Amino acid sequence: MLVVFALFIISKAGGLIYNREFHTGLSKLSSNDYLMLAGSFHGMHAITKQLCPAPPTPNVQPASAAGLAPSPFSSRPTGIEVLESSHFRAQCFQTLTGTKFLLFTEPQQPNIDSIMRKIYDLYADFVMKNPFYTVEMPIRCEKFDRGLDGFVKVRS
Amino acid sequence: MVLYSFYIFDRHTECIYSRRWTPRPTSSSGKTARPQSGSSITSGDGTVTNRRNMSHADDEKLIFGLVFSLRNMVQKLGGEDDTFLSYRTGEYKLHYYETPTRMKFVMLTDTKQNNLRPYLHQIWANLYVEYVVKNPLAPVEHPGGVGVANEMFERGLDTFITAVLPA
Amino acid sequence: MTTPTQSSSSGGGAPGLRYPSNKKTIYDRNLNRSKNAELSRAAFAYLFVEMISYAQKNVRNLVDLEKRLNEQGHPLGLRLLDLLLSRTSNPLSSIRPTRILPLLQFIAQTLWRHLFGRPADALERSESDAGQYMLYDNEPLVNQYISLPREMSQLNCAAFVAGIVEGVCDGAGFATESVTAHSVGEQQAEGGGTGGGGGMWPGKTVFLIQFKPEVLEREEILGRGGG
Repeated sequence: MLVVFALFIISKAGGLIYNREFHTGLSKLSSNDYLMLAGSFHGMHAITKQLCPAPPTPNVQPASAAGLAPSPFSSRPTGIEVLESSHFRAQCFQTLTGTKFLLFTEPQQPNIDSIMRKIYDLYADFVMKNPFYTVEMPIRCEKFDRGLDGFVKVRS
Repeated sequence: MVLYSFYIFDRHTECIYSRRWTPRPTSSSGKTARPQSGSSITSGDGTVTNRRNMSHADDEKLIFGLVFSLRNMVQKLGGEDDTFLSYRTGEYKLHYYETPTRMKFVMLTDTKQNNLRPYLHQIWANLYVEYVVKNPLAPVEHPGGVGVANEMFERGLDTFITAVLPA
Repeated sequence: MTTPTQSSSSGGGAPGLRYPSNKKTIYDRNLNRSKNAELSRAAFAYLFVEMISYAQKNVRNLVDLEKRLNEQGHPLGLRLLDLLLSRTSNPLSSIRPTRILPLLQFIAQTLWRHLFGRPADALERSESDAGQYMLYDNEPLVNQYISLPREMSQLNCAAFVAGIVEGVCDGAGFATESVTAHSVGEQQAEGGGTGGGGGMWPGKTVFLIQFKPEVLEREEILGRGGG
């Protein structure tokens, strides 16, 4: 059983470029509120990055990514990855280009990483390869919507 | 288990108690070994040195602002009865507990820790209430942290942490 | 030093083609070397994104845009006709298709297999117009990642493929009035035919091939001579 409440996509400038509700469970907000929420999450994400209490440990990365070329991003601290509240769980995934995917699910939902991965795949295919999509702008791609529908419907 | 820091904020948004545990020395030796790997990549180093320049007071303000906004966001999305529990980044995890009197207990640990909200609750109920609230010598409010960091509370906190969170 | 001279000298020697160090250009390769080579679909998708934005520059309307995409495909069709004929089992005895049906079979089978790895889905002759043929593709590869904005819903980017088809027809000596691509996924295909099947194939596309009258005239003469 898969309960995904909602998906937000936040551009690297902090704008909400995609907002979709799959399953009721979160409060209904006005579109203006969603925009503000995305903006403040963007800011909080940056702060959590700065608050990193431990100096980055570079010896961890090469061990896990043995055989791969050294990445310039390896030692950069990440911001919020998972946020837990008593009613939901929010998973945030940031691409290397700074776009953030924010996925709201039930608190005990397993396999969120694979769901996120699948969403990223759909985004890379049907948004980034669409000639009529302008980067950083709101996403209005029918095939992306349909892909998400199919995926969430099939899994639940 | 690595414990980084612990903060108490009162209802006037002020940090009235903070405690830091220095991270393990292995990571700092790793840091000195880093500059050899290409000098062009400074983003990681930059944030580290920036953090060194920041005072602890700045950290406390940032953390308060952050948990305050996160708590508001959670209540906006999840409803009035929803509570913010914790968040995790790739490097650390922040645990949060808010008392009925709107005091905020915050603890930063490594990422593998399960939710520490029950422990934060115990620190409030068994240590803070016992040794600070019930202490006749402590003031009712604690501007600048007056009266919180007394001997009994400090010792109690040490004992509690070594008991429930073995290193 | 001025900027123009700088930019021209940076090419190193003569402008235009640059030769690799071993003097082997792409033209020195055997034509059959890439016969079974495959191209990354993502690489094509990104290239197609750029081709469409290029075609969209200063374009007045959708008809214009489709025309430009068609023009991008046309030279490809001319070249592919040669390439594919040279790759048949006995290149010296193979001749270009001289009748309409073999030509359309060649397009629906050989050309489609070469471009998309599968044959076209259906081939029909129009009932109302003898010079009009319909070639169906249930899911054009070029449209795989494309979602059209609402104000452009009439556009079909397979106009590029229509241009390739037109190029093949032209190259084989079959002059066409036009080859155009139309989406038939949403409503039933007109004239009954195979039926639209909107639910199954939302991206179904028909390529309308309209031959010129002289082609039909010749076809009739050849038909009389042969039969």
